[in-house]
Amino acid sequence: MSVGTMISDLLRSLFTKPATELYPYVKTPAPLRLRGKLMWDPARCAGCQLCIKDCPSNAIELIVIDKVNKRFIMRYHADRCTYCAQCVESCRFNCLGMSNKDWEMAAVKKQPFEIYYGKEEDIALFMEQAAKPGTDQSCPPE
Amino acid sequence: MNLPLHPILVLLIFPGGLFLIASGLVYQWADRKLVARFQNRIGPRFIQPLADTIKLLAKEEIMPEGVHKGLFITLPIIALAAALTAGLYVPLFGFQPASSFRGDLILALYALSVLTLAMGLAGANTISSFSLVGATRTLTQLFSYEAPFLLSLLGPAIAAGTWQISEINTYAGQNLWLMIAQPIGFVVAMVGLMGKLELPPFDAPEAETEIVAGAMTEYSGRGYALFRLGKDVELVIGLTLVSAFYLGGLGNPLEFVIKTLALLLVLALLQTAFARLRIDQTVGLWWRAGALLAIIQLIAIVLGRNLGSIF
Amino acid sequence: MTTDTNKFVIPIGPQHPALKEPANFEFWVDGEIVTGASVRLGYVHRGIEKGAEARTWTQNLYLMERICGICSHVHATAYTLGVEKLAGVAAPPRANAIRQLMGELERIHSHMLWLGVAAHEGGFDSLFMYSWRDRETVMDLLEKISGNKVHYSANLLGGVKFDITPELAAEIHKGLDFLEERNKFYLKVITTDETFIGRTRGIGTMTTEKAEFLGAIGPTARASGIARDIRVDAPYLIYDQFPVKVMTHTSGDLHGRFIVRINETFESIRVIREILDHLPGGELTTRVPRRIPAGEAVSRVEAPRGELLYFVASNGSEKPERVKVRTPSLCNWSTVLSLAIGLKLADMPMLLSGIDPCFSCNDRSVGLKSANQDPQIWSWEKLRQYGIEYYR
Repeated sequence: MSVGTMISDLLRSLFTKPATELYPYVKTPAPLRLRGKLMWDPARCAGCQLCIKDCPSNAIELIVIDKVNKRFIMRYHADRCTYCAQCVESCRFNCLGMSNKDWEMAAVKKQPFEIYYGKEEDIALFMEQAAKPGTDQSCPPE
Repeated sequence: MNLPLHPILVLLIFPGGLFLIASGLVYQWADRKLVARFQNRIGPRFIQPLADTIKLLAKEEIMPEGVHKGLFITLPIIALAAALTAGLYVPLFGFQPASSFRGDLILALYALSVLTLAMGLAGANTISSFSLVGATRTLTQLFSYEAPFLLSLLGPAIAAGTWQISEINTYAGQNLWLMIAQPIGFVVAMVGLMGKLELPPFDAPEAETEIVAGAMTEYSGRGYALFRLGKDVELVIGLTLVSAFYLGGLGNPLEFVIKTLALLLVLALLQTAFARLRIDQTVGLWWRAGALLAIIQLIAIVLGRNLGSIF
Repeated sequence: MTTDTNKFVIPIGPQHPALKEPANFEFWVDGEIVTGASVRLGYVHRGIEKGAEARTWTQNLYLMERICGICSHVHATAYTLGVEKLAGVAAPPRANAIRQLMGELERIHSHMLWLGVAAHEGGFDSLFMYSWRDRETVMDLLEKISGNKVHYSANLLGGVKFDITPELAAEIHKGLDFLEERNKFYLKVITTDETFIGRTRGIGTMTTEKAEFLGAIGPTARASGIARDIRVDAPYLIYDQFPVKVMTHTSGDLHGRFIVRINETFESIRVIREILDHLPGGELTTRVPRRIPAGEAVSRVEAPRGELLYFVASNGSEKPERVKVRTPSLCNWSTVLSLAIGLKLADMPMLLSGIDPCFSCNDRSVGLKSANQDPQIWSWEKLRQYGIEYYR
């Protein structure tokens, strides 16, 4: 029975650095396996859409430009994504991955959360088409 | 040390009035910072108490239903005024008190009690159940710590043979530190001060996990800011009193800063080391241990004086 | 319960500093003494069980994980075990070992979180700050293993996502050493600090009979001397190979609940070390069909708060027919309400947090208001009729 059992720890803290992380000023590197922003490699994608089927939050859409030549664009909604990495597991061609560097994605507008992946000319083509009304080719999620 | 200043200036600007409020904010910051460091946190920046106060002063004051409007508005003013009044009689920053007469110790202590009383009344004035329970607890705690705290400050007064704060201060400065001569009284005074300031572990009257903010729950804007300022001023005055009486008197500003900050360091450590006491435990502690210890100390002093005069 | 206007009621919640989650408690007090208590839940009803019926088996895995932020892994594990039972698939032993390892790490994290919350409710903010500082260690470990601090998403249907490498094992060992040392210190604090004991010992004492009668589960029941733990009574995963000891305490008060939870933390640390030293080899996943054969399955696991029960029914399609979750917090509320009477108001926050309540798990019950005489007793026909009329 005693009073003030914690005093030794309290006094020690007075002479040590606070445990608080000074996050925006001092950044500690993220762990290797961190599940950050989703990355897509268009070269290997076969367009099977398994990732879209398994995504619990409808965060990915695959836009088919040319099915025969395997030209796809991926529209990734980072704000819907729950970072569960199910799509990474589901992909049989290993073309999806989650970045452990790109994870500070806060934004005040909705627009930066809509991320397009794919060959640049494909995206340009898609944007051009999307600008015209009534020609949205995006496949509905499920 | 005496100040060559016009009394009005002494009253309103320095060391009373504005300067006292400013130092109250600084001490509040120091207290929060120390507590944070003891808990291995960073704590607020020094501007935080001022920012809080300005924000509260600028905020809309919500008048809850069922309160007496006059009381609701005047009680915070009375509270701050009482705390500032008490500041006139204590040797702030090591200077001679702005006003002094025989028996001002009692006046200063009761001016501080008026602050607590005003807070209790402010809680009882509303119909919120949190405020009512908080008010009951505030007043219960007032009645429990008041006697031991007074008794513990009486020890130095009896030793010095006067009830005048400035004279006790001078006496304490010329003799052996009363902290060593009257250790029990010092301990009771320290803990009494914590009770008076409602610091943890004696923060049952404003225990946030039970009754939100206690008596202050219904106050939002200006009134709350004034109550908080009153509390801060009370902290400075309490620290001044205890260090003047028990830590060898306050002769100059440097002495004031060092002694009160040392005292604050101990207060902050005590704040962090314990779990909150229930109000019944607080009352029990004060009346069973606090008052008893203070009385033993008093008897010892009286005996010591009388025996000293016999031999 | 009836409301009497003459009673002095202290409301706690749905917005109150004592509760960081929404629920409404009303304590009727006489001075400081509590004379009655009532609880009203349902502020965070999210319709997850209904939502599960519209998602595929795989998608539901992540929905179930989000029932609770603190014990996310345990929910996903219970769901996965149920689905695997239905599909007739058994996950490989290495996957089960990793699931169990994650579950026990989660238990450490949950119990340390609770220690901080309970200490804060008792006004012991230093213990709160320190235990949460040290909890970061286990959260960092979980992040290193899985890539996320809160929703680890370790489970897949038929396995786990990631492996424990030798480097990770070494890091976990290091973290566990630190946590063990710190928890020993906290055990010392809560068993020797006089002010803390004054707030916990003899508060809310529940006898074994009463705990049985009120249906208490988890650490709350174990603190009352009921040795009931799904990990021992009905071993799942590989708890039969790496068994845990049931930690009980006989006092039945708040103090006992603190001791039981900290002792469980030690037990978790011991089991994790054992698993790391004898990690079975082999595959991480097996194939689970997209369509689960029709049937019903019940899976039970021991969440940090007590027994967690999942009932999964399939009609043979890609989506479940019904997922029913019974969470431990809901079972313990009656203990709070009956123990509250006679205690002081100041004890209420600690008593509330003493069962380690998780409010978002709670909100799945349907309240029935009746026009008949005794609102407690419903015949099956009447209930059915009421249901039909209600949903018409």
